[in-house]
Amino acid sequence: MAKIEFRHVSKRFGAVEVIPDMDLVIEDGEFVALLGPSGCGKSTSLFMLAGIYLPSGGELLFDGHVVNEVEARDRNVGIVFQSYALYPHMSVRDNILFPLRFKKTPREEALARVKAAADLVRVAELLDRRPSELSGGQQQRVALARALVKKPQLLLLDEPLSNLDASLRLSMRTEIKALHEQLGVTTVLVTHDQIEATTMADRIICMRAGRIEQVGTPDDLYLRPLSLFVAGFIGSPPINFIAGKAEGGTLTVNRTRFPVEGASGAVTVGLRPEHLSFGETGFPGRIAQIEPMGREILYVVETGMGAVRVLEQGSSAGHAIGKQVKVDFRPENSLVFETERQKLVAGAHIRATA
Amino acid sequence: MATQAAPTMTMAASGPVVDWDALAARARGARRTKAVVLYSFLIAVSLPIILPYFWLVAIAFSAKTGVAETAVLWRSMAVVVPAVVGFWLAAALAQTRRQLWIGFAAVAMIAIFAFALLVGPDLHLGNFIFLWEPDFASVVRSRIGEVRGAVQFPNVWHAFGNSILIAGAQTAIVVTVASLAAYYLSRFQFPGRSSMLRSLLVLHAFPVLTLIVPMFLMLYWIGLLDTLFGVILVLVAFELPFAIFIMKGFFDAVPWDIEMSALTDGASRRQAFVSVVLPQVRNGILAVAVFTFIRGWEEYIFVFTFLIRNSNWTMSLYMYWVRDDVMGVDYGVVSAVGVFYLVPSLILYVAAQRYLMQMSVGGVKG
Repeated sequence: MAKIEFRHVSKRFGAVEVIPDMDLVIEDGEFVALLGPSGCGKSTSLFMLAGIYLPSGGELLFDGHVVNEVEARDRNVGIVFQSYALYPHMSVRDNILFPLRFKKTPREEALARVKAAADLVRVAELLDRRPSELSGGQQQRVALARALVKKPQLLLLDEPLSNLDASLRLSMRTEIKALHEQLGVTTVLVTHDQIEATTMADRIICMRAGRIEQVGTPDDLYLRPLSLFVAGFIGSPPINFIAGKAEGGTLTVNRTRFPVEGASGAVTVGLRPEHLSFGETGFPGRIAQIEPMGREILYVVETGMGAVRVLEQGSSAGHAIGKQVKVDFRPENSLVFETERQKLVAGAHIRATA
Repeated sequence: MATQAAPTMTMAASGPVVDWDALAARARGARRTKAVVLYSFLIAVSLPIILPYFWLVAIAFSAKTGVAETAVLWRSMAVVVPAVVGFWLAAALAQTRRQLWIGFAAVAMIAIFAFALLVGPDLHLGNFIFLWEPDFASVVRSRIGEVRGAVQFPNVWHAFGNSILIAGAQTAIVVTVASLAAYYLSRFQFPGRSSMLRSLLVLHAFPVLTLIVPMFLMLYWIGLLDTLFGVILVLVAFELPFAIFIMKGFFDAVPWDIEMSALTDGASRRQAFVSVVLPQVRNGILAVAVFTFIRGWEEYIFVFTFLIRNSNWTMSLYMYWVRDDVMGVDYGVVSAVGVFYLVPSLILYVAAQRYLMQMSVGGVKG
């Protein structure tokens, strides 16, 4: 187990600066997710943790010790790759045994640990097979067993679920989370899928273009996004943005007035689809599309300020395409951002955040 | 958008009545004609290519000293060509697997019977005299009463051993060096990497003969002229660029992930290479090894130029001198040496076919 610290860590590849300056503390035993679109530097951070990339600047600390130049093999880090990266020419047993080969673990003890790791992720009956004879989910488990067999102080998961089908992804999510609770190993998950991050991690580090946009619990990021980017990235279906110029604490778009206390100049109002409803008051529009999602129904409404997504509870559509409706909103649920700086300025949810 | 449904389709077929059976019959006929024309063309074109191989084998087992006759060759052709056509017809006409096997068996039986009857009595192993009689040239010449002037041949097994030694040592060096170099080129960034990749191919553009004089002088100065080791070095130098290029393609196909995984699993770079990366390119190594070995086995120009003493002869030189000495007297012995020379590379090809089929040269990636 280890406490991880990034102190002003940067990474350049030639002239390309992938991570300019990263500061982050991951507590011992924590499960954090690095979340962001592809190319945001989350995998680069992961590979620096694993010791595969050397940081270009700053300090990387494990339990207070600088590990910048410590070789990957000496860091005792377990990693599960997106492709699983199982060794195709070895049996499952040899795959899981591989990390112990270099630690001079006595044969009996090594085999016992392989057995234990295989039992932990329920692949004990597959030990004599080749990776090519396993399903995607089984390969995933073997990769987990291989990462865990060396009793790592840090477990890294690089998009571990993206190659699985939807139902397997759901069950692996639960399983990985349960494994973390059972073992208590510090875990870093890299993903571009917000659902994976919010369901599994204790804390989410939302990244964009090499910079940390926001660090917080899944609730923090959803209810109190500090920037337009986080507000747009977290949440499915995505948030609605309405932009305009605020005057006297009010944003007026198409004769609809949005209260935006404390803000002036160009602002953007964010309204989550589930906070909108159809009613007697509100801004007018025409229903353009209906997407039933099971327990909820998503309506796409054409309004004077563009397409607006409205999420309603219930399993059957109460409105037809083409119907003229009024979209109602409650001011206390709206998030207000400065358009220029893309930062949150006000909002009923904001209490003590900057 | 339910309210804006597309206009009803009104383009359903309502033209004149079509005779589908006639159309199908016509297409069937065209397909058959095409197949017959194509196969006839391919057989006609491939005959002149196959005939020399056939000649070599037929003559080696049938020719007699001093008799320049080809009757056996034509008689065996008369058996083999109808047999091939028969196999082809059987394959084309058979409806079930069972019929196919019965057809094949019938054709094979008839062919074997005809072969035994027409060709069998003329077959003999006498032309392989060189395998047990080192001074076979004198023996062959004496059969037609000409005794003097025969070349002193070394034992054929000695030449065979030299060829194995050259081809084997060359293969071992090329495979080792090419694997390491290709891995480095595939995985590491260093100044001059892309120009090195490009120049690898340019090296292959030099015709061998243009370099033979400077090579000869170099070997002479170093003192490796007329040694097997000198020839091995020259062959290695010529084979390496292409082998590196092919091996690089195989290494490029090995995902980075498994190497990174090995590193985090506690392996050093070298251990990761040996225990994880190398097994993934096993087929590439086998393919390069087979091709390099056969290249060394066939080598003629360099050994002809750089090897002088007859104790250094390889199979190709042996073959050359046999042809030079007894050609015109005895086709049979020449052909028999040819067959003997051919067998090892044939066996190697057949054994390694599975791996050679997987070889493909990828594009240059910078």
